[in-house]
Amino acid sequence: MKYYIRLGFVLLVIAVISSGILAYVNSITKPIIDENKRREKEEARKEVLPQATSFDSLTFLNGETAYIALDRDKIVGYTFVASLYGYSSEVKTMVGLDTLFHITRIKIIEQQETPGLGANCSKSEFQEQFSGKDKTEMQVDKDGGSIASITGATITTRTIASSIRSGMEIMEKKIAETDLQTGEENER
Amino acid sequence: MSMIKEFSKGLIKENPVFIMALGLCPTLAVTTSVQNAIGMGIAATFVLVCSNVIISLIKNFIPTKIRIPSYIVVIASFVTIVDLVMHAYFPMLHKNLGLFIPLIVVNCIILGRAEAFAGKNNVIKSLADGVGMGFGFTLALIVIGGIREIIGAGQFLGYNVLPLSYKPVLAAILSPGAFLVMGLLMGLMKLLKK
Repeated sequence: MKYYIRLGFVLLVIAVISSGILAYVNSITKPIIDENKRREKEEARKEVLPQATSFDSLTFLNGETAYIALDRDKIVGYTFVASLYGYSSEVKTMVGLDTLFHITRIKIIEQQETPGLGANCSKSEFQEQFSGKDKTEMQVDKDGGSIASITGATITTRTIASSIRSGMEIMEKKIAETDLQTGEENER
Repeated sequence: MSMIKEFSKGLIKENPVFIMALGLCPTLAVTTSVQNAIGMGIAATFVLVCSNVIISLIKNFIPTKIRIPSYIVVIASFVTIVDLVMHAYFPMLHKNLGLFIPLIVVNCIILGRAEAFAGKNNVIKSLADGVGMGFGFTLALIVIGGIREIIGAGQFLGYNVLPLSYKPVLAAILSPGAFLVMGLLMGLMKLLKK
């Protein structure tokens, strides 16, 4: 009996020491990790809408904040994160829209698709073709849209196109609801 | 003298991947490119060395009956530390390897060395063993990753090494390529050993 209590006690000591060390490491690294993530998204937003000088939060979409992009007080566009499950992972795309709901640029911010196939979606040649297009074109060329699909990775391409399309639909509705076109309601 | 022996045995003679056939899951999964192979190798080596040292230090306090759960707690703690530190200070590397880091916990090389070596030998020997096995693992990953990247993408470490007219054999960087390349290399090692 005594022996088994000792076994439990030794395990307890090991677990307590380990979790203490982990808690300490976590307390040091957490703020840095959060800051890194925040900065990364901020950079992605600036990249898709370079003319914007500041961003105002608009709504929540796919667990991320969608923003109104402002150049001083004038609305120059909107950004949101499109997200859907692709072939083997969640594909997240930062999308920039101008005021007429045409895509300015997109940037894939998270994906773990098959290397050599779906993972090619993070190449700039693929991402550039989205610029200037509107929501009706957000479909793979095989399905009648105008997005050239990646060789051997139609599923990934479809995922990206349809995640952007549905995101654009939601954004359009949200923006019509909040009636921002007057350009007065920016304070929050 | 014995330190060198403990170190060098992991490279070829007792190579964890090719000879002992340990840790094959991460080996197959990450060797799509040399860059991934190096990152995974370094992360696993770090965890292996740390866990070997700690386990050989505390081996006398741990009753035999609960040694495996204790080892796992030690290993999992180190993996989490590597994950957090890498995420905070090397975000780019973490982005590429993020998926594979939790796999180190279940990498049986680490538990295997803890059980077979560090639990029975002193700190210095365990350290040498950990470094050697870690390097052997990294070496195996780089060789497999290199072959797959060259055949499957025509590149090495992201640089084109084959003429542009070369058409990459995509199968090499998909899962079948991993099994084929590893199997052939294991066979080659056996052949050379004779």
